[in-house]
Amino acid sequence: MAGTFRRVADVFGRIPRWVYIVAALVLAIVFPMLEQAGLMQTLWLRLGTRTLVYVLLAVGLNLVLGETGLLHLGYVAFFAVGAYSTAILSSPRLGIHWNFWVIIVIATVLAMLFGFVIGMPTLRLRGDYLAIVTLAFGEITRMTFNNWESVTNGPGGIPGIFPPNLFGWVVDKPAEFFYLLLASVVLVVWLLNNLKKSRVGRAWNALREDEIASHHSGVRPTQVKMLAVVLSSGIAGLAGAIFAYYQQFINPTYFLFMQSTIVVCMVVLGGMGSIPGAIVGAVVLDATPEIIRQAFTQWLPDALGSDFLPGVQTALQTDFDRYRMLIFGLVIVLMVIFRPEGLLPDQLWRREVHDEDPRDQEHTRQHLFDFEEGEKDLEV
Amino acid sequence: MASEAQTPLLEFVGVHTHYGRIPILKDVNYRVYPGEIVCLLGGNASGKSTTMKTILGIVKPTTGKVFFDGEDITGLRTAERIKRGIATVPENRRLFPHLTVLENLEMGAYTRKDAEGIASDLERVFELYPRVFERRAQRAGTLSGGEQQMVAFARALMSRPRLIIMDEPSMGLAPALVDQSFDTIAEINKQGVSIFVVEQNATAALSIANRGYVLQNGQVVMEGAARELLENEELKRAYLGG
Repeated sequence: MAGTFRRVADVFGRIPRWVYIVAALVLAIVFPMLEQAGLMQTLWLRLGTRTLVYVLLAVGLNLVLGETGLLHLGYVAFFAVGAYSTAILSSPRLGIHWNFWVIIVIATVLAMLFGFVIGMPTLRLRGDYLAIVTLAFGEITRMTFNNWESVTNGPGGIPGIFPPNLFGWVVDKPAEFFYLLLASVVLVVWLLNNLKKSRVGRAWNALREDEIASHHSGVRPTQVKMLAVVLSSGIAGLAGAIFAYYQQFINPTYFLFMQSTIVVCMVVLGGMGSIPGAIVGAVVLDATPEIIRQAFTQWLPDALGSDFLPGVQTALQTDFDRYRMLIFGLVIVLMVIFRPEGLLPDQLWRREVHDEDPRDQEHTRQHLFDFEEGEKDLEV
Repeated sequence: MASEAQTPLLEFVGVHTHYGRIPILKDVNYRVYPGEIVCLLGGNASGKSTTMKTILGIVKPTTGKVFFDGEDITGLRTAERIKRGIATVPENRRLFPHLTVLENLEMGAYTRKDAEGIASDLERVFELYPRVFERRAQRAGTLSGGEQQMVAFARALMSRPRLIIMDEPSMGLAPALVDQSFDTIAEINKQGVSIFVVEQNATAALSIANRGYVLQNGQVVMEGAARELLENEELKRAYLGG
């Protein structure tokens, strides 16, 4: 199966890149029109809008996880910071109603600042330690919003977030949010793609490959990692702001640890360090469970009679969130077995996983050994 | 070639370093004059790696100073030192295994911003190592040990250094390649780059070096012209397998 996949992928690989970009953009632009033309249920447009939020998060996390190789498990915290800044500054909660542009900037910058503060102590840590600290940080952030009742209204959340007003264009329909998000995605992806090809992009990759060697080449590891963390935090903040506007209501349950995990899964599924991969990973992981639910609760019963697997129908209708995670797990397991480098891997990572040159393995062993020995060890 | 009247390119003055409370280097003084190859010998745990890290600024001396070309660089960051002209060939070479050879070389020029200068240095390096040019699109991890060694040298040259510090350049190489590797070092030196090399393979290192230091438990216990060290009876017993 894996072989067939690769042969098919090779055929598609010969089509130039810009064709894919144009096709994806056209598809995205046409998508909301289908709903407006009555060809598609609003449900799917809502799903598409949510997917675009995940796309933003996935490309943002990819910067840290994929390009720089830092296992960051608290990404949702920055999303929460963006969302809560928006909810507080544009809702009846405290009676504040600031301008959309001001809020977008505040949400992004505040999330970046948060990223900086968190990065300061944690970026010296490596691997597992960084994962543990970021995980804890994500939970601390959620707990703070959960308990800071005077401002965030605790578990009750903040309702009635005012719709954004972009120079007189009031964005309040799903289709409009879809386009607003699409524009943000295009902007962010363009920015990240340019960064990836720049000097700092090379430094991120070098850091992921060998921190000590990159240090010896003049890369300042903490500074360069910090840049990745701060930028990706800003992207999450931006996503959080638009998400809050779109939902019109937020509470701490939107920012559970599970959300961070889902975004990690999207990046891994798409292919670490690959921007198109992160986009595809987000689309596939967000849409697949919904498609399966629709298939078992609507399409299949419609086609085969309403008594088609009634147990599955009720299960999916009443307890979908749990099954959603089950489907996630299944997708990830299948991917790890058949396509460990991800759906649309970065060239770099493709090389890393599939080549089995013995000299490589030797190097990996060597590398592991060096890694364990650590830079600060008593090695004299 | 090295005259005592010259300003040393690299100079350690009374350097002490500690890891936590444990002293590593104890009152160490080194000098590397422009154009020299200086060799640092020493057994395990003698302070060789710490010397390398102190030159690069990864470890900071607790007391004492490090000078580069007459300037005090004790407080400077690694990146700043590289900009001033110090490059490394690290232990085990430490190429970026999944970056291509060309990308590895570009990382060598990371601290530089003069695109034309980098391009012309790239050409020079390719001329020097035609094999590296052949392999430029291949990822570094797939090269043989000898080729990786060349890429490591080439990468160090890409920052247009005045001093290259090398940590065990012969380590992990096939015996036939060791001599070749030292020839290459001598070759690089002829281009006007000073070299400070840490080696276990004392005979080979001293045969190309001008001077040498012997480090033991963090102290310099012997120093002198390479020729004299090669003939030193005590040293022969300890390091040269005589």
